[in-house]
Amino acid sequence: MSGFAINNKSGFAIETEGLTRVFRNRWANTELRAVDNVSLQVPEGCTFGLLGANGAGKTTFVKMLLSSVHPTSGTARIFGRHAQDASSRRSVGYLPENHRFPTYMTGWGMLDFYGALSGMDSASRKRKIPEMLTTVGLDERAWHTRLGKYSKGMLQRVGLGQAMLHAPRLLVLDEPSDGVDPVGRKQIRDVLQALEQQGVTIFLNSHLLAEVELFCHDVAIIQKGKLSLSGSVKDLTSSGGYRVTACEVPEALISELATRSKAHSVEHGLLELMFSTREQANSAVDSLRANQCEIESLHAIRSTLEEVFIRTVSEKPEGVTDK
Amino acid sequence: MNATLALIRDTFREAFARRIFWGFFGCCTALLLFLIFILRVDVVQGALATISIFGNSLPSTNVENLVQQTQSVIAMVLYFAGMALSVFASAGLVSSVFEPGRIELLLSKPVSRTHLLLGRYAGNVLVVAANILYLVVGSWVIFGIKTGVWGLGFLISSLCTIFVFSVLLAAIVLVGVIWDSAAVAIMVTFAIMILTPILAQKNTLERLLSSEWSRDVVRVLYYTLPKTSDISIIIRHLILNQPVESWMPVWSTGLFGIAVLGLGLWRFNKRSF
Repeated sequence: MSGFAINNKSGFAIETEGLTRVFRNRWANTELRAVDNVSLQVPEGCTFGLLGANGAGKTTFVKMLLSSVHPTSGTARIFGRHAQDASSRRSVGYLPENHRFPTYMTGWGMLDFYGALSGMDSASRKRKIPEMLTTVGLDERAWHTRLGKYSKGMLQRVGLGQAMLHAPRLLVLDEPSDGVDPVGRKQIRDVLQALEQQGVTIFLNSHLLAEVELFCHDVAIIQKGKLSLSGSVKDLTSSGGYRVTACEVPEALISELATRSKAHSVEHGLLELMFSTREQANSAVDSLRANQCEIESLHAIRSTLEEVFIRTVSEKPEGVTDK
Repeated sequence: MNATLALIRDTFREAFARRIFWGFFGCCTALLLFLIFILRVDVVQGALATISIFGNSLPSTNVENLVQQTQSVIAMVLYFAGMALSVFASAGLVSSVFEPGRIELLLSKPVSRTHLLLGRYAGNVLVVAANILYLVVGSWVIFGIKTGVWGLGFLISSLCTIFVFSVLLAAIVLVGVIWDSAAVAIMVTFAIMILTPILAQKNTLERLLSSEWSRDVVRVLYYTLPKTSDISIIIRHLILNQPVESWMPVWSTGLFGIAVLGLGLWRFNKRSF
């Protein structure tokens, strides 16, 4: 996919180890640990969502990956190369959150400028710019219009275009669908899904949890600078527990299973049991089958990513204290 | 090379959009038109000339002397007024790069910070140089055609003006990197421009000052800061074909520029955005 081959033995697109950034105010004698000892690994080809409340440290983390903020301690690597090394960013496309693209540029001019900075030669830029502007849904009239006249949605699209133009192997997107209408969001999602199928690693920083849940395979939640939770969306959203329903269950067994379950109810001869873990649910099914009971249903109770997120950010991470 | 050209082209585009370039270009064109249509020089017997402005003739004078004097006036206007305008205009071009939302994207590209800042710096110098050369070469050609005097001193003087501007721009870059403010950059650079002609009177100041430490301060400031006033004298000498007594003001100003630009680059590399 990428025009730039980088030998990456680690297999990770992003790797951080103990990444920390402390902002010190010497006048007020205060310090803020914006990112605190974050170790994270994002495998190549993965779609990864970074979640966190406002001010949690997500943007600082992303800025350290792209070297616009220097870490106080720890290391960040992109495809095995140190993030401070400019060449590590050859295979990276980035769309910042509160971008301020120069308003004197046209859509075409902007892609041409950032394409040149990304190492593309003039002929490739000429060939790829119209393709890219079309891909992100900008019609030809907009190509040579100054960015100062673009709507927020159009700016997002052209911003996404500049991030993808040089065929990066890693796309870092900070709120990519911010200000884009629902149809546009779907278009952006489709473009990103096509990139994902081509093996591009996508690192998404978004407040739109439904969007992250729809699109990302793995997520991490950052809270007050610390990594609170990480894992696959599938695993995290299935942690709501397991529900087992069975009928013709003897009273003695109901009593026994009730003690092992989180909650239970019996209605019209149907026993419903709730378990926290898969093992507990399996064990209950074993007991029921051993007693010749009929299993009506067994399924995992899925939480939405939003529920997982709210639950996580409501808990205080280890070592975080309110001042 | 691609990235360097892109950065330079972008600086020109921004200068065009801010109408800085067009403002300079308009002023230079007006002066050139003045020289073409209003200023009439009649060369008599190859050595004497009569100059007339708006139809009023001035006494006859030596043509070479006349051209050199006129060129030195243009060079001085360009050196002081043009320099002040250039500093005023360039401060915004430097600080705009550090705007939040713009700098992060620039830094995310596979271009070193040093390369980014030097590209912008070079673009800015070239914007101003293009205008200076347009005016100087244009008026040099007009004078040459009208009088047959083709002395190179005037052309060389334009290079000195560009050189001093590039040194002052280094100061703008340093202040811009530290404070992100065009206004502060303009103030500091103007302070240097105002202070240096005063410091150029070093010998007089030393006589006037009573304590040795204050004389030391004057000496340190004089030798450290760019010598814009002394260089203006060198420019005049070059145009008038007079020998230059000392090139120290030029090389010491160059050293100041290198040091300040180096400091600006070091700070830019260390800074988080």
